[in-house]
Amino acid sequence: MQFKDQIDFIRQHMKRNKLRVATTILAATMGCAFLIVLASVGFGLHQTITDDVLDNNMVTQIEVAGKSDGEAEIPPADIPDAELQQIKEMAHVIAVVERNKPEAETEIVIGNRSTYSQVVLSSMEEEQKAGFALSEGKMPSKAEEVVVGYHMAERLLTEAEMEKEANGEEVAGFAGSLIGQTVELELTPFTAEGEEAVEPSTWEFVVTGVAKEPAKDWMTDAGIYADSSWGPIFNEELGLEKGYENILVYADELQNVGGITNALKEDGYYVYSVTEELGTMNVFFNGLKAGLIFVGTIAVLIASIGIFNTMTMAVTERTREIGVMKAIGAQPKLIRKLFLMESAAIGLIGTALAVAISYGISILANWLVPIIILSSLGEEDASGMSIVISTIPWQLVVIASAISIGVAMVSGWRPARKATQIDIIQALRQEM
Amino acid sequence: MIKIKDLQHHFKIGKKGNERHVPVLKGVTLEVGKGEIVAILGKSGSGKSTLLHILAGFMSPETGSVVVNGQETAALKESQQASFRLENFGFIFQNFQLMPGLSAFENVELPLKIKGMAEAERKMKVQKLLEKVGLEEVAGHYPNELSGGQQQRVSIARALITDAPIILADEPTGSLDSETEKDILLLIQSLNKKLGLTFVIITHDEEVAAVADRQYRLHDGELVKGEQRHAV
Repeated sequence: MQFKDQIDFIRQHMKRNKLRVATTILAATMGCAFLIVLASVGFGLHQTITDDVLDNNMVTQIEVAGKSDGEAEIPPADIPDAELQQIKEMAHVIAVVERNKPEAETEIVIGNRSTYSQVVLSSMEEEQKAGFALSEGKMPSKAEEVVVGYHMAERLLTEAEMEKEANGEEVAGFAGSLIGQTVELELTPFTAEGEEAVEPSTWEFVVTGVAKEPAKDWMTDAGIYADSSWGPIFNEELGLEKGYENILVYADELQNVGGITNALKEDGYYVYSVTEELGTMNVFFNGLKAGLIFVGTIAVLIASIGIFNTMTMAVTERTREIGVMKAIGAQPKLIRKLFLMESAAIGLIGTALAVAISYGISILANWLVPIIILSSLGEEDASGMSIVISTIPWQLVVIASAISIGVAMVSGWRPARKATQIDIIQALRQEM
Repeated sequence: MIKIKDLQHHFKIGKKGNERHVPVLKGVTLEVGKGEIVAILGKSGSGKSTLLHILAGFMSPETGSVVVNGQETAALKESQQASFRLENFGFIFQNFQLMPGLSAFENVELPLKIKGMAEAERKMKVQKLLEKVGLEEVAGHYPNELSGGQQQRVSIARALITDAPIILADEPTGSLDSETEKDILLLIQSLNKKLGLTFVIITHDEEVAAVADRQYRLHDGELVKGEQRHAV
């Protein structure tokens, strides 16, 4: 029998028992929808937490916090350049940035405006490779040139403005562009209580660029980025010791971060990357999702009892028809296939409906639950809140469909087998 | 075409442990040639239906053999028997045994669907056959919308549609009035003449048996040769 004819055949039979088939499909739909919605909460929470971690981290950044050579701990600042060069040459590493912050109070002055800030000494070339971008101007080409943070202009205040701000009034800060402006960088070494205050040292720089706005609204960048060659000069002038150095390794893509992190670990580096945090989290959430799918599968199994009953009744009712079909030449495997297809069709239709309904419930939950949470917290504006309660990835649809259709077919297996074993003579003796 | 040799069969009667074996067929031997109509007459319980069921492969004989077109049917597996039936036999049943959910057209089409024939080809074939047996006007009707005679014509068309060379008819007019019975018997004779089909008819009715080239009577499980054909 051709496949199209088999489909027609089971469709005719399902039409003849509309009500019973419909209620069985309803049970299958409810079971499968319960499974998907339940598991979608696990997927949703996983996504929310993952997004939160990724939003608060540079995802392709790997922080090197030092190294162990087997005997002693080597701080980042003492890691030899040759070893950093080796890291730079690793596959999928696009940049290795060494950042240094002098241990001194930092003040930026332009005319009568000033702000407390921090100076970041780094190789601007490597920073650019790592993705450091400007909102205006260009990267420095000389040592006396610097890039300032995106919020530097608005933080540069006159004394009067500082007082106003202290009183809670709004102030505008520096108006116009900082590009081409000469800024004074005043560094004052920190002193312990009781020690004599040290006079600040001042250097002048020309601003050539303004850094890109930070990704998050709540982040403020009022720093000043100067070439790393200034580190020894500042230290000598201010009598400072070599400060803490931050080594950041950048991968080309998120998927390569794990590989680079592991390779660095094997070489004895102390590293931290977003994959470390995600790795632990993934174990927990994968366990949670598996548990939820297991609980949801129980609902599908309960629904399968309905499918089993429906198919058993179908076989009993159609005993004579099955007998006639066998008599006129239908093979037992065709009879079995037709009944298996019918139970699979019930599972398939139930699953399709369940997927559609689950997406609807998921959308509704993601809209409604944050509102309920906010109202319980006494807030009205949900715009800054990004909670995903439920998400249905395609993998969940595939898993749930496989479970639901598989269970439906297993439920139909015994009735289908019973149909193949029907005795032709007994069947033909049955009354119409 | 059909060679039945020394067929024996028993039925078990009574409760388990206290069963009685009742012989139904006691060494039946029969040969049916191509294009013949052979009638097996017998009273109720004489074993004539058992003979037909063994011939069709619905059940296996205890001893003896059935050879159809050179193939011993008992040697075939269940699935092979199904294919063998589809290729070699057409069935006409007393109660027509039509599918109530299928129209006359679809009932006739069913064996071709089982055979896996392409839709266009089989539709054309069914249409032609329905015209031949005078059913073209009721092709879309369901069995419960047809008279007994029309239902039996549908059943005959279903038996003929696969071009099987042998038609096994079990009380083909058992559920029909005498007028309709006459029509159906004429149709069987005409199909036999025009298409050269072989008919094995099981009946208790002498009138029906009269269309046969040869008649046999099953009596106490033994086959006895009866009368030759005379006009219906």
